Amino acid sequence: MRTIFHLDLDAFFVSVERILDPALIGKPVIVGANPEKGEGRGVVAACSYEAREYGLHSAMPIRQAYQLCPHGIYVHGSHGEYSRYSRAVGSLLGKYAPQLEKASIDEYYMDFTGCRHMYGSMFSFATRLQREIWEKLSLPCSIGIGSNKTVAKIGSDCMKPRGITYIIPGMEKEFLAPMPVETIPGVGKMTLPELHAKGFYTIGDVSSASEEYFGAAFGKMGISLWRKANGEGTEYLSTPVDQKSISSERTYGNDVLSISQMEETLQKLTGKVCQQVRDEGWQAGKVSLKLRYSDFVTLSRDKTIKPTDDDKVVLETIMDLFHKAYTRRVAVRLLGVKLGKFNEFFEQGQLFEEKEEIRKRMLKAVTGLRDKFGYESIQFGRTDPKSNRMSNPFRG
Amino acid sequence: MNYAPKLYIGTAGWSYKDWVPNFYPSGESKEFSWLEFYSRYFNVVEVNSSYYTYINPNIIKGWLKKVEDAEEFLFTFKLHQDFTHKRYYGNDQVNAIRYNLDMLKEAERLGGILIQFPYSFDCCEPNIEYVGELIRNFDGYDKFVEVRHASWNNKRAKSITFCTIDQPQIGQAIEFVPVVGNGCAYIRFHGRNEEAWKRSISNYGKIQTYEEQNQRYQYLYSPGELTEINQKIREIYDKVKKVFVIMNNHPHGDAVANAFELMHLLKEKVKVKMPQTILKEYPRLKQISSN
Repeated sequence: MRTIFHLDLDAFFVSVERILDPALIGKPVIVGANPEKGEGRGVVAACSYEAREYGLHSAMPIRQAYQLCPHGIYVHGSHGEYSRYSRAVGSLLGKYAPQLEKASIDEYYMDFTGCRHMYGSMFSFATRLQREIWEKLSLPCSIGIGSNKTVAKIGSDCMKPRGITYIIPGMEKEFLAPMPVETIPGVGKMTLPELHAKGFYTIGDVSSASEEYFGAAFGKMGISLWRKANGEGTEYLSTPVDQKSISSERTYGNDVLSISQMEETLQKLTGKVCQQVRDEGWQAGKVSLKLRYSDFVTLSRDKTIKPTDDDKVVLETIMDLFHKAYTRRVAVRLLGVKLGKFNEFFEQGQLFEEKEEIRKRMLKAVTGLRDKFGYESIQFGRTDPKSNRMSNPFRG
Repeated sequence: MNYAPKLYIGTAGWSYKDWVPNFYPSGESKEFSWLEFYSRYFNVVEVNSSYYTYINPNIIKGWLKKVEDAEEFLFTFKLHQDFTHKRYYGNDQVNAIRYNLDMLKEAERLGGILIQFPYSFDCCEPNIEYVGELIRNFDGYDKFVEVRHASWNNKRAKSITFCTIDQPQIGQAIEFVPVVGNGCAYIRFHGRNEEAWKRSISNYGKIQTYEEQNQRYQYLYSPGELTEINQKIREIYDKVKKVFVIMNNHPHGDAVANAFELMHLLKEKVKVKMPQTILKEYPRLKQISSN
């Protein structure tokens, strides 16, 4: 049986705004678009519990929020600060949790399975954690403790704000039964009327029906819903691959002014790092370029991309970054390519189009050849945009 | 909290006209001493004028008198540019500096010397040897060495403390991680004014006004940034006996405000003694003020 914590920061954006401006404490505060006296567009990103008393909630159109609560304090939001406080919470939790998953800017899952000897009663430990986050960071939070992620998440949500809910292992089904069916994560505006139409109002209504029925009536989603209603859920956290980046750099013996020579270097470096990423079975979600001029002025530029291990995609991104970054007519001393934000590679056939499928097979073959004959045994060519001719920079 | 090192928190320099009236009160008589006022609130100051000039020992005597009432107060002393940038000095220069340092040391007011090298000073054999020579010349004082070239990254030192720098994350600047050496950390905050920093790089060597020169230091750290900084400094608490925190984002007194805030965070959120003047310009300090 696993012990999963779900920690949710209560009205997080509002809590941070209150640190920045304590005059907001105790008042209805709405973070989101400018309401422009009821004419504004956009939605509520977060609102304080005082504002919720007027019927406001996240994702409500700001115009509607203004009608319900015209005297509320509307703030645009300090997103850089939210990220900093979110990182600060993560860093505090990381000191205790053997495994930590950041689910969003204000939610964390932690796996404390087997930690009872170290931390004592899990309920008391959660209280301690909650208190520490309040004392050190002035942020209120709620914690749910359950045997899987779904139960823990429902737990953290049911006693907000500043709540702690411990769902005793084996009692998940009983705990969930009286709750309204929309409490289950994933039941939204589309599904709810369908469930109601069929007479499912509480989670207990769902769990007492048969799995087969739900499969037949709602398909795959129905089975997943039925399982959640029965207290089942994901027991393991998705944690990112530990290594933070893979990089390769080249410092020229003599500083270089020729753009095509720099492009060749970048292609070579890209090939090297992409192969390392493929060797690990990872995909990179971030590509970075480093450029140092001969006078030591150094730039680094990066771009977030759809996770990939393909040289072609990475090289295109690198070239784009390079052409934007290389703006001075000064010789270059060093170039570097770095890949980061790794995901482990999961086969998701349906997501790939046919052309990509072919490239994927080709890359696999390249990896195989390099395994057998070494890295230098096969290299990618490059299309020269001027001559529209394939050139292999490494073979002259 | 199990263990906390001795914390020395202050600013780089104290003599700034634009700290009136945000920190120093306005309309004071000629006898009013900025240093004496400063020493009521902070326990360290970094002397920067010593980088440009060999300070007359009488001036140092005057400083010692001004801080007489401050129970614990230290000066850290930036080494003259002859030693770090021009790298041309003789025994006379060493002796002149040592004379001043000894005066501070005997009065138990010396925190150490800050040896700040230019960016071009990279990690190679002759430079390592040069640092070794300086260390021998200034034996007997704690030494904080600031090297900015990336080739020094991850170099560990036992007998000296490499400085930790916080500045805008541009180019090859590394993420803020406190460095420990000789049981101590010496952390300097230059602000994170990215735009002005970039401008100052491109205006390097041009004649600039005082305002232009100092624009890149104009930056008030936000509560979120200070919270992260606090966490990172705390991570080294069990590895050090002393931590120096020096704020150099001096324009208009931002350094003073942030120094008070870090004092609050690093000292278990105790209320901090501060003058009324600063509360007017930085109302968010009211939360942490003991007034």
